[in-house]
Amino acid sequence: MRTVATAAIDAGHEDIRLELSPRICTLGVHDRQCETRVHASWHAPHEESLCLVIVGRPEIKQCWENYSEGVATIELVFADDLVFQLKDLDLQQVLASEALRVIREAIQYRHKRRQPWNVFD
Amino acid sequence: MITSMHYKPMIVALGVFIGAFPEHRAIAAEDCSAASSECVAVGHWNVEIELGGGVRTNPLVGGENIPLVLIPHISYYGRRFFLDDLDVGFTIADTGSNTFNLVASPGYDRVYFYRSDLQNIFVIGYSPVDGAATTYHAVDPATPGAMQFSNRPRRVTYLAGPEWTFKYAAVTGQLDFLHEITGQNHGNEIRAALSVPLIQKHGVLSGSLGITWNSAAIVNYYYGEDAIYQGGSALNPFVKLGYTLPLSDKWRLNAFTEFERLGDAIANSPIVAEHHVATSFVGFIYSF
Repeated sequence: MRTVATAAIDAGHEDIRLELSPRICTLGVHDRQCETRVHASWHAPHEESLCLVIVGRPEIKQCWENYSEGVATIELVFADDLVFQLKDLDLQQVLASEALRVIREAIQYRHKRRQPWNVFD
Repeated sequence: MITSMHYKPMIVALGVFIGAFPEHRAIAAEDCSAASSECVAVGHWNVEIELGGGVRTNPLVGGENIPLVLIPHISYYGRRFFLDDLDVGFTIADTGSNTFNLVASPGYDRVYFYRSDLQNIFVIGYSPVDGAATTYHAVDPATPGAMQFSNRPRRVTYLAGPEWTFKYAAVTGQLDFLHEITGQNHGNEIRAALSVPLIQKHGVLSGSLGITWNSAAIVNYYYGEDAIYQGGSALNPFVKLGYTLPLSDKWRLNAFTEFERLGDAIANSPIVAEHHVATSFVGFIYSF
């Protein structure tokens, strides 16, 4: 189940841009979760005071006061989509939002051979 | 020729085993939508290494026990074709609870004669000594009671035939009818086993019982000796206990012990010293 949030961006802050790298994590057949370092960068036309948070991950929060841009590098382990948000310092208003998506390789499964006769099975 | 007499113990065992679980008569319908103990991804190689310690006894006169240290497992499943260690197969039909395959599998008994047998290298993994697993020492032919055995080779053989496997409630079963196809002995073999989980808390403890039936052609290919000993067919029953405990995504603990009783036609051979084969192993499995 995807958990992409569609947070509305508050009026007056449309020019704040949030960019993620990578933006997609692809899980292979033997992968259960993504383990990656995510670079989040933001730019604003004016100085802003804001915080970067991830929906559903309250332990992750990085804030800037009176900056027009910022970069955060976060080590993350996740199995579903993550939604990054820039919020005001009170964490009330969503200023920008971007999703890091998880894509699973299209895999077809079949029954494994049953081998109770085999001593090692 | 396989007679109905040889089927009888197997059919009785099947009935008794399944009859022990009357509350699970319904057919278990499982579809495969993710990797699990029952399901595997199509078109991908699966590699596991099992590292630990164990031993398989060698029933032959002068036979050295076979150490179990490193056991690699490699498998590949296509939509119908599969490779499972040294076995290859083709799935004819899979209804979820019943699967019908055509399989080819190496003849098993050679492992007692050659430490370098593929099944020792591939399945047993660690092969510190190349060559014979059994050494014979010549004695003076004039010694009273001495018999001369030819040191004839037992070549790698493959057997092929239909296989039925099933999952009936908690019971997993396998039944193979195999014929030797590599032109060495033209014998037949039946492999049958049932397995059921006994305890499923803190890992899974499972119990298995089964048989291997060898036709006289196979028995004599390995254990016969011209003008000295010719045996008939052999029924070799076995019991096994296995325990698996997942430790992480990649690691799990695995232990098993198996006890096989060799049929009289094998055990009575003058080159066989033991009536039983025991196999035990404790180790850790890493899945790549």
